[in-house]
Amino acid sequence: MTRNGPLALLYHALFVVFMLAPIVIVCIVAFTPEGYLSLPTHGLSLRWFRTIAQYPEFIRAFWVSIWLGALSSAIALSLSVPAALAIARYRFKGRDALATLFMSPLMIPPVVLGIAFLRFFSLVGLGGTFVGLVLSHVVIVFPFALRLTLASAVGMDRAIEQAAVSLGASDWTVFRRVTLPLILPGLVSGWALAFIQSFDEVTMTVFVAAPGTETLPVRMFLYIQDNIDPLVTSVSASVIALTAIALVALDRLYGLERLLAGRGINEP
Amino acid sequence: MSFLVLRELKKTYGDFVAVEALSLDVQRGEFISLLGPSGCGKTTTLQMVAGFVEPTGGAILLDGHDLVAMKPSRRGLGVVFQSYALFPHMTAAENVAFGLEMQKVGRAERDERVRNALELVGLGGFAERYPRRMSGGQQQRVALARALVIRPHVLLLDEPLSNLDAKLREEMQIELRQIQRTVGTTTILVTHDQSEAMALSDRIVVMNGGRVEQIAAPQEAYERPATPFVAGFLGKTNELSGTARVEGGETRVVIADGRWASRRPIDGAVIASVRPEKIAFADCAAGRLTGLVKTRIFQGNHWLYRIETLAGQVFVIRQNGGEPMPAENDKVGLTWRPEDMALRAADGRR
Ligand SMILES: Nc1ncnc2c1ncn2[C@@H]1O[C@H](COP(=O)(O)OP(=O)(O)O)[C@@H](O)[C@H]1O
Ligand SMILES: [Mg+2]
Repeated sequence: MTRNGPLALLYHALFVVFMLAPIVIVCIVAFTPEGYLSLPTHGLSLRWFRTIAQYPEFIRAFWVSIWLGALSSAIALSLSVPAALAIARYRFKGRDALATLFMSPLMIPPVVLGIAFLRFFSLVGLGGTFVGLVLSHVVIVFPFALRLTLASAVGMDRAIEQAAVSLGASDWTVFRRVTLPLILPGLVSGWALAFIQSFDEVTMTVFVAAPGTETLPVRMFLYIQDNIDPLVTSVSASVIALTAIALVALDRLYGLERLLAGRGINEP
Repeated sequence: MSFLVLRELKKTYGDFVAVEALSLDVQRGEFISLLGPSGCGKTTTLQMVAGFVEPTGGAILLDGHDLVAMKPSRRGLGVVFQSYALFPHMTAAENVAFGLEMQKVGRAERDERVRNALELVGLGGFAERYPRRMSGGQQQRVALARALVIRPHVLLLDEPLSNLDAKLREEMQIELRQIQRTVGTTTILVTHDQSEAMALSDRIVVMNGGRVEQIAAPQEAYERPATPFVAGFLGKTNELSGTARVEGGETRVVIADGRWASRRPIDGAVIASVRPEKIAFADCAAGRLTGLVKTRIFQGNHWLYRIETLAGQVFVIRQNGGEPMPAENDKVGLTWRPEDMALRAADGRR
């Protein structure tokens, strides 16, 4: 490994500061005792964290986001497995077209998708429902789930499955006992990435969500349109804290580097 | 009828012929090697037997039953892949047990057979190891145990030793041969290494460009190669141009200043193919092929000579027996027995 020169170090340092500064500032502002957005100059206070409790719609929106992310990611992932295996293994007519189609939600502006879903769902009677929200998020996160599933399906040695077949395993047994365990790390990473995408999505969700099915980011977005008090910063700080706890737990259980790289538990 | 029969087996990819009309009869318990350079269709042939590649034409019969119509999972063949293809999320014992689970073998018998199989390949103490914690040679043995434990009708090995270093490869060759003898499983090995094929097999199938060049016992293929390709592929050989004339029941062969009498009735321009280790040094008597020693290389148990003769350069290998040997720039005569010389017509007729 080569060592970084001073310029490269400076560059990395500036980059990290640039990335972290907004997060750090939000977290500090969350502890302000004042009634407006300001850096706490005299003393820290938990005032705005206590205020969250007076807004049950934030708590509810948080749970909507969690369930929405978990469900839509799981559905997208289970759809991505057969798609990834087919694309990774077989050369067939329209294979490239199919792969492009699956990736296309990435290329459509979320605003356009949002308006399209709004119209579509109200036509089929799903307007403002949680089901509609889940369906729209499945579409949004599918490319991310497919990406990582595809990466692990492509990286797998076909001979391992052939070995199982030669030992007498049926197609389903091969999938359950060999294929699935081997692509599982990719699936876990894909689910995590999809979850983050779903949790994060505002632009499209604003159009699809209705009162009662608002996600946390949408709730916050609507709130800061009318109010400029530090409540959103304390909500943000809470989410950041939960994320940090989740990451530490994941790292302990599984190894974060592995998770993000989609690498197997079996690889060194 | 033979145990395993490949009849006119053929595989094409578009216009490209990967395997062309391959016919082979394998006896029960026999060890057969498919030998040839990379890309000659060995793996394709093996995969057609295993069922992972569908033949374009021809038939495969196992004990009289049509294999092609049978699903790969029903064929009951043991396959060892070049990459070993162990299940990385299972221990050595779990890997070996997999095939028995598929056969619904009971718990007690399964454990017993897994233990025996691991003992057989010398891995008795490694049952609980994961493949990633094993060396290449050990993984190789697990793969072998996994294939053998199901008591396969035929064992198929695709370059199983090519990922091992030279010393380990030699050890594993001896071991593989011994295990195959002990278990008696009919075996087909794919390799591009001629010494491996010769060391292990009862018979060798020499392949080139999708075609079979010769099917013969190792020594026979080496001593009496059917084609120039076989002669060249199975070790070094000298190819010398000369003339032959049938004269009173005998063929007189002339190569530059050397003369031989042969029993092979052949007339006209010929190519004589002689293995370097069959050539002996002698004095420069009349009627003997003579030459000048250009280089002499000591290789421990033998000497490698390059001799410049009127018929071109000739390689000679002599055992290092301790006696004095010709030095560089010595003038020497070269002799070999007529039966050590394979003659063919220079224009390609056989
Ligand atoms: N799926 C395939 N599509 C096209 N050509 C193939 C395919 N599989 C093998 N071949 C070609 O067939 C020839 C024989 O391959 P193979 O049997 O793997 O050779 P080897 O003797 O090295 O094992 C090679 O030239 C290879 O490129
Ligand atoms: Mg091959």
